[in-house]
Amino acid sequence: MASFTADVFQNEYLPDGSTEVHAVVSVTCTGAGQAGQTGSGDAAEIIIIDTSGSMDMPSAKIIAARRAAHVALDEIHDGTWFAVVAGNTGAQLIYPRQGTMVKMDAGHRSAAQQWVAQVQPGGATTIGAWLDCARDLFLSVPAAQRHAILLTDGKQEHEAPAELDRAIAQSKGVFQCDCRGVGDNWVVEQLRKIATGLLGTVDLIATPEQMEADFEAIIKRSMSRGVADVQLRVWAPAGSEVMFVRQVAPDVDDLTPRAVQVSELIREFPTGAWADESRDYHVAVRVPTAPVGSERLAARVELVVDDQVQAKGLVRAVWSADTDLTTRINPAVAHYTGQAELADAIQQGLAARKSGDEEAATMLLGRAAKIAHDAGNESTTRLLAKVVDITDPDTGTVRLKKEVATLDEMALDTSSTKTVRVRRDPAPDGSPPAGPPPGGQP
Amino acid sequence: MSEVTALADPVCPSCGAAIHAGDAFCEACGATVDGATAVAAPPEAPAVGAEAGAADALSAAAGGVVAATFISAAPRSERPHAEATPCLVCGGAVAGDGYCETCGTKARTWRDHWTESPAPWLGAVCDRGVRHSRNEDAMATMASAEAPPHPDSLAVLVVCDGVTSAPDSDQASLAASVDARDHLVAAARSTSHTSGAAAIEAMVHAITASCRIAQVAVTRVTDRLIAASPTGTLSEPPSCTFVAAVVADGRATVGWCGDSRAYWLGDDGSGLQLSHDHSLASELIAGGMTRAQAEQDPTAHTITRWLGIDSPSPTADTMTFDLPGPGWVMVCSDGMWNYASEPSQLSALMAQAVADGATTPTTIAESMAAFANNQGGADNIAVILARIEQNPEPVPNKES
Repeated sequence: MASFTADVFQNEYLPDGSTEVHAVVSVTCTGAGQAGQTGSGDAAEIIIIDTSGSMDMPSAKIIAARRAAHVALDEIHDGTWFAVVAGNTGAQLIYPRQGTMVKMDAGHRSAAQQWVAQVQPGGATTIGAWLDCARDLFLSVPAAQRHAILLTDGKQEHEAPAELDRAIAQSKGVFQCDCRGVGDNWVVEQLRKIATGLLGTVDLIATPEQMEADFEAIIKRSMSRGVADVQLRVWAPAGSEVMFVRQVAPDVDDLTPRAVQVSELIREFPTGAWADESRDYHVAVRVPTAPVGSERLAARVELVVDDQVQAKGLVRAVWSADTDLTTRINPAVAHYTGQAELADAIQQGLAARKSGDEEAATMLLGRAAKIAHDAGNESTTRLLAKVVDITDPDTGTVRLKKEVATLDEMALDTSSTKTVRVRRDPAPDGSPPAGPPPGGQP
Repeated sequence: MSEVTALADPVCPSCGAAIHAGDAFCEACGATVDGATAVAAPPEAPAVGAEAGAADALSAAAGGVVAATFISAAPRSERPHAEATPCLVCGGAVAGDGYCETCGTKARTWRDHWTESPAPWLGAVCDRGVRHSRNEDAMATMASAEAPPHPDSLAVLVVCDGVTSAPDSDQASLAASVDARDHLVAAARSTSHTSGAAAIEAMVHAITASCRIAQVAVTRVTDRLIAASPTGTLSEPPSCTFVAAVVADGRATVGWCGDSRAYWLGDDGSGLQLSHDHSLASELIAGGMTRAQAEQDPTAHTITRWLGIDSPSPTADTMTFDLPGPGWVMVCSDGMWNYASEPSQLSALMAQAVADGATTPTTIAESMAAFANNQGGADNIAVILARIEQNPEPVPNKES
């Protein structure tokens, strides 16, 4: 039986007249079990492989994709509904050969692997149509937890850009989708849009030989998500404004636009399926002020599964005249505010560089270098150093590199949202830890 | 008594929180709740009789065999976050976690405001005030059914003011005042057989000892907080002041540590501050400054003595005072005297309260606390009033 805990990290003390309340709510799930095996409903998995003509240039890409799909099929648990879809101009079922999804067993696995081995490239990249195909398949079976993996090497073409937006909108809430781009001809922005809308991740597979291990990891992870559908429920008091609800670890993901208003004071944010893992959320609420000495609940943050509250965290506001209390900065809130700013600075900096605005690019990427350095975010610092020369990380002084490999730029872009957990140095005054424990990257 | 014992769950005799059988201390307030003192309390605000009954058990545990005339009061055992009570700010329903479901305001708990009246001649109020988010003042009282001048009349008045800068001082102050009160009740029983100078000396000794016991209580709460802390340390150990008065035999015996005070407020206008603050303001006054000037000084409230594991001298100064005639013994925290320091000011406030219709010591104390809140309520407020209608002559050779 899965269980959730929620820990709140904040400075609850506000000076007189202040209204803005920030907190980091760290949620941990344990005992999640395996997808489709916890009694909450069947799991369903679809592998979508780009088989457009470009996958043959070089042919190493399609060879690696066949191999990756093979390994992915190995990882799908028996009893899981599954299908393999070829994406080109439109989408075709690779397996089953026709009709709908089937439940995995040894026979279907080996048959599917044989068909996957024979996939031939050809045609264009119409990602919207691929998502439509996956959605129709998912909806044809009684599964409670639906996950897809989408691999492409190119950008959406032969399809109006609006088609992709429409397909994403119609697939929201139907299935989750992890997106992977191989090589340097795909568009980070397009796949990020899918991943953001469909509660998944986006990442770069730099070379075809890395594909196999990546697919294996993605399916393993999907199969370990034993809790199908978790809602983050946020209550905020009358007269307040929820400024944002942002996942800040393991990666930055703004949940605010996904809010579903449940009642006047309660909204829910879908967070998809959960494995044994920790996720941190930064909640910011503007509340009506109250006299010094008053305490008001600024937010009640609950994890909800099947309409049952699994864990609860209270975000408080206590107005105080004691400046020793009100000026304290919570390290977790500060750290994740920085990490979100880092993601923004990288994405905007790369966009500025692309559009030729060197001044803005230098400023933004310099800012990113400083934040990454201050936070001890070494992997991001390494990726930044391939795009800019970091002269002085302490001040964020950088120079744009003249020649930058597209892959390096894309690697920086896709990794920009990955955060490092707040450092948990022992507090000098012996007070309780001010942030969640450091956790591993997924 | 039967009404009380018929009721279920064991609760803390100090704060009313649920406790487990065998617990040595209340998890909520830190008060001692060893098996003997764990008494059943009514689930709702107790009626006077029930309150007295619960207190009987408390006194029995503290002092062994206790005459039925001795009654003391524990704080009301209203359950914190009682859902039935609507939000005081907006009238909304209060959720199980203690916050209003509409405006989020934290619901007032018994710890934020409570009154005690163990007998009609004693009344007390403890209030969070306006500016502090927690009530770190605490008090504990006891009064016999017989009022002065009855020769067996007895009252115990204890106030401890938690130091706000130290977290969890509210737990320390409550445990300290309850334990000191219990000791004084037991001591008063055992000295009632003595008389004269020996009796006076015994009571002074008891007051001194009760301050040590209060210090032990603070230490115990501190140890518990340290044990519960993930880092095994506290940013600042809890601490509090102490003032206690025992009213018996026509005499008030007073002990204090810090700047909580005891006063005599005579009906004839005679008034006297019985305690002398351990504070920088006192030192300034001793150095020649007027009280008004000294209490305006920014350092005035810095106390030079307190209870706590970091205290260099957690000991009480004591004095005895023969009660001169009808009037009041008052014990209070600085949250009260900040707004009325001179005995004449306090007497005027009491007169105003009576003029406004207050008829009992509790309603007068409530009125005085309301005055402090109207003046800004910058600190927590604790006020205990014992009415001396008429004094027995201090008996030099009382036979028990």
